[in-house]
Amino acid sequence: MAIDVSKQSGAESLRKTRTYGKFRCHNPSCMGRLEPKPGDKLVKCPVCKSEFRVAWIRPDFPRIRGPVWDVNKKLAQEAVAKREGK
Amino acid sequence: MALKRKIAYINLSTGEIDIKPIPVDIRKKFIGGRGLDAYLLYNHSKKGCDPLGPDNPLIVSGGFLTATCASATARTHIMAKSPLTGLLGSANMGGFFAPEMAWAGFHHLVIKGKAKNPVYIYLHNGEIEIRDAKNIWGKTTTDSQWAIRDELNDQEVKSMVCGPAGENLVRIANVMTGIKNAGGRSGMGCVMGSKNLKAVAARGTMDINIAYPMDALEYNKRFIDQITSAKVNKTQGTLGTPFIWGATNSWGGIRTRNFQYNQCEYADDIEPERIDEICEETMGPYHMSGCFGCQVHCRAQYKIPSGPYKGVYDEGPEYTSQGAFGGEPDCKSAETILVGNHLVDQYGIDNLEAGSLISWAMELYEEGIITNKDTDGLALEFGNDEALLEMVKRIAFREGKVGNALADGGIAASKIFGKNSFDFLIQVKGMSNLHSDERATPALALNIATASRGSDHLRSRPAIDLYHLPVDVLRKIYSNPIPYDGPLSSEHTEYIGKAWQVFWQENCYMAVDCLGICKYHTTFLGATLPNFEDWTKVLYYNTGLEYTPEEIWDVAERCNMLERLFNLREGLTRDDLEKGDMLNHRYFDEPCKRGAPDVIGKFIDKKKFKKMIDEFYEHKGLDKDGVPKPETLKNLGLANEPSKMI
Repeated sequence: MAIDVSKQSGAESLRKTRTYGKFRCHNPSCMGRLEPKPGDKLVKCPVCKSEFRVAWIRPDFPRIRGPVWDVNKKLAQEAVAKREGK
Repeated sequence: MALKRKIAYINLSTGEIDIKPIPVDIRKKFIGGRGLDAYLLYNHSKKGCDPLGPDNPLIVSGGFLTATCASATARTHIMAKSPLTGLLGSANMGGFFAPEMAWAGFHHLVIKGKAKNPVYIYLHNGEIEIRDAKNIWGKTTTDSQWAIRDELNDQEVKSMVCGPAGENLVRIANVMTGIKNAGGRSGMGCVMGSKNLKAVAARGTMDINIAYPMDALEYNKRFIDQITSAKVNKTQGTLGTPFIWGATNSWGGIRTRNFQYNQCEYADDIEPERIDEICEETMGPYHMSGCFGCQVHCRAQYKIPSGPYKGVYDEGPEYTSQGAFGGEPDCKSAETILVGNHLVDQYGIDNLEAGSLISWAMELYEEGIITNKDTDGLALEFGNDEALLEMVKRIAFREGKVGNALADGGIAASKIFGKNSFDFLIQVKGMSNLHSDERATPALALNIATASRGSDHLRSRPAIDLYHLPVDVLRKIYSNPIPYDGPLSSEHTEYIGKAWQVFWQENCYMAVDCLGICKYHTTFLGATLPNFEDWTKVLYYNTGLEYTPEEIWDVAERCNMLERLFNLREGLTRDDLEKGDMLNHRYFDEPCKRGAPDVIGKFIDKKKFKKMIDEFYEHKGLDKDGVPKPETLKNLGLANEPSKMI
């Protein structure tokens, strides 16, 4: 079999699209890139104002631990009320 | 004969054992693992066979690459007609059993008949013994494995066992190996129990006959780099699979209180980071371990920190235990999750099914369909941790009206509970859904509706659909190895192009199951993980067989169609709520109540959903009823099934 080991597979070639230090806002209509500062425990989406608690897998690798419950719940309620014309 | 692993036909009624080679043309057509198991099941079972009868073949396998120089080839697959669904039964687990079975000389076992008394099968260096298991019967899953090791006087023996639940013919009983590796779904432990088969044990030192070992090892370095560099696997190596639950709960994609809510609010004590803290407190900083040949190490080790089980060791919990004993019953205690995980591991019950069915019963209790009279006074309320754990025991030992009913699965139990209890049951084809809520994610809804073993996330879930990847990236993934120029959408709330993604993932997951590789090593949770192109190299260096990416795709499509043929033969019809590709009405009728602003109010549009099913069938070469067209079967080389080639 003529295997060309030097050739990257499609999956390997996608590695260049990987980013560290950022994650996406969990609001589906937003999905904006959020970039907490190293060590930050909270991050606020500048677009939709959702707030998230941040956990760090590595010093350069944050992830969303969960929402700031009261803040995001209130935002969701306001958005739904607006959508329903209340 | 590539790798020289064999297939053994074992008749527990007569004690006959027939060992045969696996021909290369069979490898080319089905590869191995789950795919070849599907062929064996379709060919060695008769239409309408009793899932708990001696004619239901129990098939056990490793993948084609198991125990080779490829990474993470730990998976054991178990297949039979399911006693839970009456359709395809299939379960898959990690650990160390399948590699040991391969070193003992075997890749596939077809176990038929029923032993007169409890037995276990022992595979060792090309030999097979059927041994008395009367001293092991009745033991928990872990004690059974240790007892087998003691009896054989070999601490390296690896076993797959059923627990007390399997012995009690609980239809949601799983198969276990090691402390926590579970072949959980569709009641394969129950099939073992029905055959008086307590365990299959393996010990082997036979050469695996790698075709090009140095090249295989060299290439595997690159494979490992691909796997370990993925962000998702770095996260798994820190938090295990619970990270998925945490991330999904954050936006509102989790089932809570059966299906009443799509988010478990204020769940800080059961978030993955909290569970990780407990693991670290009880087991130290190096508490993550792995399966055979895996570099991800997603398996946490812990001791229960407090309460009646304080100090008891276990492993996990996985995402499914977190959902089963946390989010879904609305119990917000990490300790309850860790104890529940321990109980299902030891009794040998599918954690996912147990948590889902108990949560369903809790909603029925709330609705007054189940009363204190049915529960023997147990307050089966959401958030009642003690009742939750008590129900696990009642299911395993078939205690009480509700415990005994749930032990037969949701559909059977709904006929006992009566009224409109079935309307509350979140299942597809008789199998409970994962603890996720797919109302805001049409692609995932299509996946669970059409999965071959019933509602399931590991058959065709396009999880990367949630990452909002640009369309050009999606196209790079989903138009390879088979060209696809149809629509794709980055929006996971959309319906466009999702049928193709689910079709593609179905073939990707079948291929990885044929190879015996863990799904965390393919395009499941990460876009950069290996798939068809990468596997051609791994296959060639390890087995010496040449496959193109397109050929691997063809094998996967063929094997998926065999599973479809089995289900059609056993009664699958498109819109049947019990045996079809259809979702519970609540997906269409009850909008999401919680979560991110744009998740609230989301539900599955039935018209668009049915259109997705049509598209999915078209991609698969099925007619509008979900039956394969004659030309599809001909193209896939399945026109003459059952062909009984092996």
